[in-house]
Amino acid sequence: MDNLIAARATMGFSLGFHIIFAAIGMVMPLLMSAAHYLFLKKKDPAYLELTKMWLKGVAIFFAVGAVSGTVLSFELGLLWPGFMKHAGPIIGMPFSWEGTAFFLEAVAIGLFLYGWKRMKPWVHWCTGLTVGISGFVSGIFVVAANGWMNAPAGFDWIDGAAHNVDPVKAMFNRAWLHETIHMQLAALQAVGFAVAGIHAFLYLRGRAQALNLKAIKIALVFGASAAIAQPFAGHFAGQRVAELQPAKLAALEGHFKTGPRAPLYIGGIPDEDTQTMRWGIPLPGMLSFIAFNDVDAVVAGLDQVPREDWPHVAIVHVSFQIMVAIGMVMALSGVLFFVFLKRRIFPHWYLCLLVLFIPLGMIAIEAGWIVTEVGRQPWIIHGIMRTKDAVTPVPGMVYHFYLFLVLYLLLWCVTGWLFHRQIQAVQKKFEDVP
Amino acid sequence: MTDIIVFFIGASLLLYVLLGGSDYGAGIIELLPAGTFREKQKHVINEAMGPVWEANHMWLILIVVILFVAFPTIFTTLMIALHLPMLALLVGIVVRGTAFTFRHYDAIQEPRSQRAYTLLFGVSSLWTSFWLGIIVASLNRGTINLEAATFWDAYIAPWWGVYPLSVGLFVASIFAFLAGVYLISETDDAALQRRFTRHAAVFNALVIVSGGLVFAASFIERESLPSRFFRTPSTIAAMALATLLFVVLWRVIPKRNALLTRVVAGGQVALILLGWWLLYAPDAVHTVQGPLNFYQEAAPHATMLQLVIALLVGSLFIFPSLFFLLRVFKSKQHPSGD
Repeated sequence: MDNLIAARATMGFSLGFHIIFAAIGMVMPLLMSAAHYLFLKKKDPAYLELTKMWLKGVAIFFAVGAVSGTVLSFELGLLWPGFMKHAGPIIGMPFSWEGTAFFLEAVAIGLFLYGWKRMKPWVHWCTGLTVGISGFVSGIFVVAANGWMNAPAGFDWIDGAAHNVDPVKAMFNRAWLHETIHMQLAALQAVGFAVAGIHAFLYLRGRAQALNLKAIKIALVFGASAAIAQPFAGHFAGQRVAELQPAKLAALEGHFKTGPRAPLYIGGIPDEDTQTMRWGIPLPGMLSFIAFNDVDAVVAGLDQVPREDWPHVAIVHVSFQIMVAIGMVMALSGVLFFVFLKRRIFPHWYLCLLVLFIPLGMIAIEAGWIVTEVGRQPWIIHGIMRTKDAVTPVPGMVYHFYLFLVLYLLLWCVTGWLFHRQIQAVQKKFEDVP
Repeated sequence: MTDIIVFFIGASLLLYVLLGGSDYGAGIIELLPAGTFREKQKHVINEAMGPVWEANHMWLILIVVILFVAFPTIFTTLMIALHLPMLALLVGIVVRGTAFTFRHYDAIQEPRSQRAYTLLFGVSSLWTSFWLGIIVASLNRGTINLEAATFWDAYIAPWWGVYPLSVGLFVASIFAFLAGVYLISETDDAALQRRFTRHAAVFNALVIVSGGLVFAASFIERESLPSRFFRTPSTIAAMALATLLFVVLWRVIPKRNALLTRVVAGGQVALILLGWWLLYAPDAVHTVQGPLNFYQEAAPHATMLQLVIALLVGSLFIFPSLFFLLRVFKSKQHPSGD
């Protein structure tokens, strides 16, 4: 592995790890606050039980998210000093606000986790809600910084250096809005469905069914709403990408040749050498429609982009397909949720489906993140700086990669094991509760 | 503008050392044999650290963010030349935070896994504070060389030597000392209070010994520290005052006044940090090619302005909430239930 690939692998792996914990750490507190609210309103102890159950998850995932986030703030410099040297001052604004929001979150989580008997109930509830809101806001800031890498703004690039820096313009770049909406909805739906799936599993095992049904309802009110909104947010994102990064759009659709009535492929593996799509089912004109709301619009293909500026087309396309497919399935089951909620009965097969869906949202997050990051290559700052010019001069990055690979895999295993123990404990507790 | 930002770096560093440092120290103390006190001690440390450790950890993140936003060249220089110690630090941070949290939130509490968490928490606390010291020592040695030809000169030499090693020991001792002092008033159990007092005394001695070692090593390895020290009267005064306060501290501790004890011990550490800061300010880092100065390396004005706004507005949120946190958990009347 050469240094660049190793550095990219390290960053990719660290972010891929962090994004899961960040999503959970962002959304779980919201679910927890909702349950807590219902307890305080209805005085039904089942909701208190749920709040305390979810609180443990919040504590564990928040801690892993916090430390893996610390690693990332260092890795920006450890792996990409050439990038940070210029980008730090330009995109510092979202990072400093993110720091503030995250700080507030860290204080609030201490208050919430340990403050049960020390505060008035509603004050205590507010601290829990603050965890959720500040976590959510800090997520928005971080993604806004990523948006800048895709749609750089707020500076003039003259002779390899940034001049006339305007941090406000940089933060509100052309990509921040669609990226943050898309990501925050993805977090809501992935975590909402995962939590619902776990409780569906417990329900099907016949443990504390009333409690688990309540949990499913809370989780899916968030998860299903987000899943239904997501296709619209995705469409908005697609249009912005068509405008800002034609090469990325072309790659994610495997669209090689410029032309009108561009087809949208379902499935398929793009072949960069022959510049064709293999085994894909074309829907004529649909790509033109997605990009420009017009089936006859001309969509720029990869032939408009110099070959050395292509991202890895197959990876981007396949990841995109996975993300969209999962998104569609989840949107559909989101609609079903509201139908069943209205009818006040959840069929057995739907609950089984929810169990199957536990990992789906997370897979979609990873796939979508690969689409945006790999799709931006070879640029680290789109059109301004190449990733290879930003990488650290320190040799042997491959060992850095192995180190974090082992560390994070271990951490995954331990978190998974803890989770298993948590479920065990819950099952044991409700052994006799039908 | 730069003054305000540099002040925030200094203040964050101080708060990180005092607050985060006590958390590291608690881990180091848990490494010591505790016999029958093991469980009780663990409980006290969980209660004392649990609500605050995430917030205390934030000061470090704040320093990193301020550095890369406002002083990008200083940030990237450190991340290149000190890549290896930074990695060691990160591994420690990851293991420490997760081990501590997992210990508390493991749904099934049984002795074997609890012992493993405690061991990991302790070892990584010691490891992390040690590397923190090495990094701090390497900032101003003038050995950082971004134009070096060999791997050794570029990535090992900047932090290699007995001097950085002894600063590592010094920092770990300070952290453990702070934790000892801090924990005394976190428990009502007289026997445990005596234990923490004894720990504080032992680490107090270690602070003095390792401080002497830092000085001796810097003489032997011809570091810039001694000559700067004797040229900087304010540093000499700060260090002298910090040493004198040890006498005050050990007169205050038997009085069992939590606030006063903490103020004195915290004041000592603040003085040590201030003395060190005055040695080099406003130079942040010394390289073979010359010093990197906060004022010359500052980001463009627009960035600095936005950062100051973020820091000041952020303070309006953070300081009241931190105050609330302390008020809620440091009033003794209720046990925390979770």
